[in-house]
Amino acid sequence: MVSVEDLNVIFGKKHIVHDVSFSVKKGEIIGMFGISGAGKTTVIRVLTCQIEKKNWNGTVSVTGLDPSKKANHSKILSNIGYVPQLELLNLYFELTPMVNVEVFTSTYGMDKKEAKKTAEKLFKILDIPKDTWKKRVKKMSGGEKKRLSMAIGLIHSPDVLFLDEPTTGVDASRRYDVLSYLKKLNQQLNTTMFIITHDLEAALICDKTAILREGRLLEFDTPQNLISSLPSNGLVARISIENLNQKIINVIQGYPSIKKVLRVGNETIEVLMDQFDENLPKFMKFLFEKEYKVISMSRDIANFRRYFQIRIQEEETKEKVQTQIELINNGGPQYQN
Amino acid sequence: MSRINLKNWRCDKINRRESQDKKRSFKLKNGLVRLLKQIKKEFRLLWTDKFNMFIALIVPPLVILALGLTSGNPRATVQPINCVVVSYDSNVFIDENNFTESTLDDYNLKYVEAVNASNLLNLVQFFNATEEIYAMETARNLLTAKQIKVIISIPVDFSELIEWGYPGLIDCVTDSSDIQKIQVSLNAVYDSIKIFVFQNNLSPQFKIKGYEEFSIPEGYSFSYNYMIVLVLSFMIIGVGMVSTILIVVQEKPVARLLLTPVKRLEILTAKYLTYISILIIQNLSLISTALAFGLYLVGSFLDLFLALFILGFTGLTLGIFISSVSKTKTQANQLFLATFLVLILLSGIFIPIEAMPIYLQVIAYILPLSHGSPLINSIITKGRSVFGFDFFALLGVSLILVGLSYIIFQRRKYEV
Ligand SMILES: Nc1ncnc2c1ncn2[C@@H]1O[C@H](COP(=O)(O)OP(=O)(O)O)[C@@H](O)[C@H]1O
Ligand SMILES: [Mg+2]
Repeated sequence: MVSVEDLNVIFGKKHIVHDVSFSVKKGEIIGMFGISGAGKTTVIRVLTCQIEKKNWNGTVSVTGLDPSKKANHSKILSNIGYVPQLELLNLYFELTPMVNVEVFTSTYGMDKKEAKKTAEKLFKILDIPKDTWKKRVKKMSGGEKKRLSMAIGLIHSPDVLFLDEPTTGVDASRRYDVLSYLKKLNQQLNTTMFIITHDLEAALICDKTAILREGRLLEFDTPQNLISSLPSNGLVARISIENLNQKIINVIQGYPSIKKVLRVGNETIEVLMDQFDENLPKFMKFLFEKEYKVISMSRDIANFRRYFQIRIQEEETKEKVQTQIELINNGGPQYQN
Repeated sequence: MSRINLKNWRCDKINRRESQDKKRSFKLKNGLVRLLKQIKKEFRLLWTDKFNMFIALIVPPLVILALGLTSGNPRATVQPINCVVVSYDSNVFIDENNFTESTLDDYNLKYVEAVNASNLLNLVQFFNATEEIYAMETARNLLTAKQIKVIISIPVDFSELIEWGYPGLIDCVTDSSDIQKIQVSLNAVYDSIKIFVFQNNLSPQFKIKGYEEFSIPEGYSFSYNYMIVLVLSFMIIGVGMVSTILIVVQEKPVARLLLTPVKRLEILTAKYLTYISILIIQNLSLISTALAFGLYLVGSFLDLFLALFILGFTGLTLGIFISSVSKTKTQANQLFLATFLVLILLSGIFIPIEAMPIYLQVIAYILPLSHGSPLINSIITKGRSVFGFDFFALLGVSLILVGLSYIIFQRRKYEV
């Protein structure tokens, strides 16, 4: 469906995306994660023909077509759907949902009746209440607008649906709704989806996840594989300690089998270690010997959020070490002088 | 004891009052500080909106400056009026009383000299009607074509009457399609007569017999017809602009629409065609209403329709142009106001275009409103064809604006 090889995006002197490669197969949900400013939207803009060829290079194919050729744009655009982050940019608020559907389907050259039938089907899957179909979009709730946006993105049965931050700006309690609707659409219509987001919960519905940091792709794999790549397949011990402080954390970090310590709450840490089952009792004994007041301990498996934190942290330390080496290298000759 | 108490009580009261006063003044001071902070914030916001400041502070003095440049120039205020002199003086004059014939023509050329000497008149051509039988026809054509404002006709007995000591007689045919200009034309002719009388030591007895050409006939309201010409062009251009200044800036979902196979060219063309069709309906209803209420129309319905159409079209191209240039709604509104102000100032209604310095004249002729009244006027009162200088000037300007709006819209940034 989508394949990207060695994508680089450069705006003037700003190198935004570095050597990104990945591919998406039919029916998959792909999540691309990264903090804001990582370059996610830029990647999607290349795929949706919004960035001029002079600003990017690499081998890109969207539904088998190359977006670097202007002649392909119209075809690519009719093969894909797009759900932007802001409804304001996507919907005519003064028109009704049905008229909105008409506006967007007409550009694909769809038959009006057929479009209406598809819309009704999608509205039903997405639980858009029937009484809102003939009212202005303005009157709909935020969640309904979002779902209408998705329906419009899917109205022409695209091969791939691109979604930019589908859960951002949605109430915390509704975020899972949006995600489950996406999963439902994926299952019922077998639609390929490419989601970019900084909301790590979205990984719940993703077949594959990509992690983008400062324009570089760190990982691209199934979330399970990524989590299993952690020490002891991602088993973690969640430990609460009274009066937890940085000093205690430093001591724990120094314990031989401990691979990673994450502070996840005021008095709570999560630790990853080699040979989890073997080392956990030894580690607990160590804590008691140190006379730290352990309140509770539970074992769990890391979720994607933990994985993401660990991976980003790792990258940051690597970078710090790198800059220190550079400093030393740069400083070295000066001392010799 | 009681005295002391009373004293204390008083002190208490005074203290309390003082502290109340203090509190009150403290409140007032706080309120003032808050107000000042709010004012400061307003100024900060204003500073971020440079265009708004430009409109508020720079444009009004510029307008006054433009007025000063145009009307402060004394040379520019005396703009000679183009005229033609047609002389019948050397024709054979038969005195009806005694049937004597006479061909005196001593004075007609002298009068022409006086016309030449007058600062208020500019002689475009002199016809001796004895030799040129179509003199009057030619002169009338010049009048229709707006090349002259008045035809001065010297009657057959002109020299005879002066010679024999009767009051002299001159016939004037003025262009009455613009009532403001009739008196100006007649004054200019009076000026030439004054010079003529002075140069030839004549007794100052002269009569001007005026004929109004293109005036509104009886049975039609003069003021109604006059007002309509003024209002129509303002209204049509204004409405055309107002209805379109927001149609591009306002439409945010175009960003998403562009991620479908639709082309920018198609989006903008659809806007043009929609508003053109509305314009056509508007024009038809306008003309019908005007005619129903007693518009005196010499020219054809079609000519008037085309005139209104081209005016409205220029208005809407200006509007769409402003809309595609503007980044926000506020900017579009401000740009509209500025443009309309300039259009009105240079429309020729407040300051005659001929009286403007040449560079302003050029701008005035490029701007559409200066063509409005003359175009409509020439059709309504003179029955001329719509296809003249004004029409093609408007067409040219609007087509350039259409072209520019397409180029700008093509480059307009849309991001989802
Ligand atoms: N057209 C552009 N010109 C210059 N810089 C840009 C342009 N578009 C995006 N950027 C920069 O690229 C970086 C990544 O932006 P973006 O892809 O929007 O990040 P994300 O979607 O991950 O939040 C940002 O630092 C942004 O300033
Ligand atoms: Mg983004």
